[in-house]
Amino acid sequence: MHLKAPEHQVAGHIAKDGKPGPLVDDKGRFFKPLQGDSRGEIEVKFYESFSSNTEVPAHIRRYFPVYHGTQAVESSDGAAMIVLENLLSKYSKPSVMDVKMGSRTWYPEASEEYIQKCLRKDARSTTVSSGFRISGFEVYDHKELSFWKPDRKLLNGIKVDGVRLALRKFVSSNTLSDTSSKPDSAFASSVYGGSNGILTQLLELKTWFENQTFYHFNSCSILIIYENESIQDGDARAQVKLVDFAHVHDGNGVIDHNFLGGLCSFINFVRDILQSSDDQSTQD
Amino acid sequence: MKMLKDPEHQVAGHMAKDGRLGPLVDGEGRFFKPFQSNGRGEDEAKFYESFSSNKNVPDHIRGYFPVYHGTQVVETSNGSGKLPHIILDDVVFGYTNPSGMDVKIGSRTWYPGVSEQYFNQCLKNDRETTSVSLGFRHAGFKIFDHQESRFWIVEYKFVHRYKVDDARLALRKFVSSNSLADLIPDCAFASQVYGGSSGILAQLLELKAWFETQTLYHFSSCSVYMFYENESLLMKGGDGARAQVKLVDFTHVLDGNGVIDHNFLGGLSSFIKFIQDILES
Repeated sequence: MHLKAPEHQVAGHIAKDGKPGPLVDDKGRFFKPLQGDSRGEIEVKFYESFSSNTEVPAHIRRYFPVYHGTQAVESSDGAAMIVLENLLSKYSKPSVMDVKMGSRTWYPEASEEYIQKCLRKDARSTTVSSGFRISGFEVYDHKELSFWKPDRKLLNGIKVDGVRLALRKFVSSNTLSDTSSKPDSAFASSVYGGSNGILTQLLELKTWFENQTFYHFNSCSILIIYENESIQDGDARAQVKLVDFAHVHDGNGVIDHNFLGGLCSFINFVRDILQSSDDQSTQD
Repeated sequence: MKMLKDPEHQVAGHMAKDGRLGPLVDGEGRFFKPFQSNGRGEDEAKFYESFSSNKNVPDHIRGYFPVYHGTQVVETSNGSGKLPHIILDDVVFGYTNPSGMDVKIGSRTWYPGVSEQYFNQCLKNDRETTSVSLGFRHAGFKIFDHQESRFWIVEYKFVHRYKVDDARLALRKFVSSNSLADLIPDCAFASQVYGGSSGILAQLLELKAWFETQTLYHFSSCSVYMFYENESLLMKGGDGARAQVKLVDFTHVLDGNGVIDHNFLGGLSSFIKFIQDILES
């Protein structure tokens, strides 16, 4: 089994200071190290529960990575890893964005220390104001023919206007590292719009969240992925996936109103960009 | 000037009691709410001014807000002197025996920019009540007991301690005909009050649709006040429940600044699910 570090990680845990990072193989699998304390257990418990939950409709299941159990991996000193579907294996040049959903990342079951830490982070970012924050993104520059990632520190400090700009840059073709040029949002309708686009998928998820009381997806992210190779032909293959389930708890008969509120806010941002880019193109 | 007196059907908020300031009614359809301290009264009046003249609010949504008639300085309920009051339409005017329930919407009652002290107080309240877990919490209710022919008034200090099951139970008792002392509410009026094309659920869903796109206001600490008429409920061929939803308490409303009120929307959606569950059971 040939394992290597994944190419397009945008947020989360990378291999650092001797700690294992995620790995991918050549068979479309993603190996995620089991996180310390109870988080790894919680994530496994979630995937086990979710895979066998017959009440999750098939059209919703597609928004979650396929689970392949856990495995001890030799190259990581036999550390236990969660084996998942590699969400990017079928993409050759993917642009990826990680959006952490919810106006709070803490939850009642968490420790006091964790709650305080989250409160600080949530207040400093757009989490409190907008119901979500952008954890990271990587976008392909069609002029420079290379990938571009914003500075992590810069991203952490952005406000609402910064979010809007990031969502525009994410679907633009023009030079991104040049901050003086305005993003052209050239791919907005291919990626965000259309019957298979991001907005349609988010709306489908929203309907499920208005009723499902199985899980509370605390601190979960939505990954947005699209293919740059085919996008000039209008084929974006845009995909929404939910990831990071280390803090998922039972819904106990209550909907995940925290995630839902944030999701609705995010939908509104995407819709605004789609509408303003549609307006722009009809003016040309 | 007509004589102003205490309203009969106040369920939550600041009631005239033990010398404390409360609202007044003129018996002809107007409700006088005393300005709350520390500038909150001015803020609330400012919201009503803005809202009344805001052309971007659709008419069918305007119906969920009390009609505003300006402000007036009048003698307070406890006779402590004159104070400015906000004048609104008395929403229960024309109702003989209304049951009412006040539910504060949103998993957090604080918002960016508040003082550290206010933030800590709000966070504590939100965590101790059902706000964090459910996205809403009860603030008080007044339910007519058809068995005992009297009202049960449950004030804020009791509902403050509610847990998830208590909240569910209260929503069931709200639409029940058996005695409220009974452990299992019969929910006999659920379809009349909550259901139907003009029932509580239909109204909440209409409000929810507006909240999915409106970026005009962020309604921190606002309540949904729902009420219905007991008098006509049991009569055949009568007006039915005449159930209504109103949004109330606008002392902490902020500009939306291009972002939807996701805090209110999340809580409202959770509240809607609770009502739907009761209708379906």
